[in-house]
Amino acid sequence: MEQLLQILSPDFLLRNAFYAGLIVGFVCPQVGIFFVLRRMVLLGIALPQVSNAGIAFAFLLHTIGWHIFHHIESEKVMALTGSVVFTLITIFVLAILERRRKGFTENRIGFTYAIAGAAAILFVSWNPYGKAEVLSMLQGEIISIPDIYLWSMLAIYGMIFIILVGFHRNFVLVSYDIDMATTIGKHVVLWDILLYLIIGVIISLGVMTVGPLVIFGFLLIPAITARMITRGILLFCVVSSVIGITTSFIGFYLSYHFDLPTGPTDVVLLCLVLILVYLVKVVLRIWKR
Amino acid sequence: MNTDNCITLKDVSIGYNGSPILNDINFSLKTGEFVVLFGPNGCGKTTLFKTILRIIPPVQGDIIYGNDYTPRFGYVPQRQFLDEIYPFTAEEVVLMGTFGEMKPFHPTAKTNRDWVEQCLKDVGMLDMKKEFFSELSGGQKQRILIARALATRPNVLLLDEPITGVDVIAQKKIIELISELHKKHQLTIMMVTHEVHHIPSWVNKIIHIHHYKVVLGSLEEIISLSRIDEIPTQG
Repeated sequence: MEQLLQILSPDFLLRNAFYAGLIVGFVCPQVGIFFVLRRMVLLGIALPQVSNAGIAFAFLLHTIGWHIFHHIESEKVMALTGSVVFTLITIFVLAILERRRKGFTENRIGFTYAIAGAAAILFVSWNPYGKAEVLSMLQGEIISIPDIYLWSMLAIYGMIFIILVGFHRNFVLVSYDIDMATTIGKHVVLWDILLYLIIGVIISLGVMTVGPLVIFGFLLIPAITARMITRGILLFCVVSSVIGITTSFIGFYLSYHFDLPTGPTDVVLLCLVLILVYLVKVVLRIWKR
Repeated sequence: MNTDNCITLKDVSIGYNGSPILNDINFSLKTGEFVVLFGPNGCGKTTLFKTILRIIPPVQGDIIYGNDYTPRFGYVPQRQFLDEIYPFTAEEVVLMGTFGEMKPFHPTAKTNRDWVEQCLKDVGMLDMKKEFFSELSGGQKQRILIARALATRPNVLLLDEPITGVDVIAQKKIIELISELHKKHQLTIMMVTHEVHHIPSWVNKIIHIHHYKVVLGSLEEIISLSRIDEIPTQG
């Protein structure tokens, strides 16, 4: 109990990591529901890997003295730029190929995952300095998040959440029934582009802040779990975020209490919730017979 | 029935990416007519439908909508193309029909909820509004999709294979429902089917896609053409 009060105290040393986890836990499932409903779960694995490659590439450029923004020499700004650029280019190329129905979706995503993973390792190995720092960033620095990062994250994730809630009907309709959306005058391509932009930004910023594993976990697992226990799209969205933020809170407490790494603790907890929900559903089904 | 042309197709070719699959399509739909678009599987019925709905642009030719107004379309797609992973209730599916007039950042207005209830009532599915859409039977799903199309407040209702894959009793009920809606709401209706026995005897017009040609015909003519096609060729 004492530790719980410590975590909730405004002077808590790791408060930024705690708040960042809560933001990720609350907002990521709202994007994740579209991964699940559009059956793009594999993309949720590949894109964080692409974002990783972008970070490693930007670090490599920074180390050899080439800066994207000449007046800003912070490697983190550079890394974020690399992450955003790589992720957005990839998601738009994949979306165009998907629309033109070139080849199989699984093949494209598998290829993307393989090449991004290999490229990230190569970029790190070519980097003569700061290998440890790059690796730490690629794994996600959920413990040491500076104030500026937390505020930027709150602003960007907050804006994305507002857009997703405000235009929820349009995003759902163009995902579910393109023909119907076109018939009632919705600009399907524009809504798709906006959704892909949101996905790109959420993943890029999230991977930089909490790492690819945590982002992947919070994007997909709360939505998959909520899909098993809810009726109705509104309830599905609400329950996804509730699972996300609650797990993030409990995961942080457990990792602090037992001195465990926070990201993996969160993801394992999310998986346990999913397994528990599934087992309860199975038991209830057998009991009802 | 009004005699105004609601939709007119003049020398239209339809297809994808500039490659036509059907050419020289010429017909018109009059306001209040019940028209059936008939043809075998894969002949281009759905493509023609989507072209009329402006989902796909025509490869060539003109489609003229109305004389002094653009008709509002209510579209009933083939239900098997809708992914069942979406956890919608029946009511939420019908509510989609009102999305065209809803403002972003606003909750669903009571008038819209009342209208959705009315549409559910019109198709006899009000009691099922809280049910999972994916758990409904084929016939019930079809009724919900018809209610969703009605919720758009259409002048023209287009139904793509509405009775395919449902049992005979449900087929009869759906045809009765469509006929009732046609009369009650004075709707112009265009229905696609690939089975000749799905065509009600009282329809105003049948558009038949036969050997890559679009022709107008009576039910008797369509039946005789179908029988000719069934005769096995020698050699």
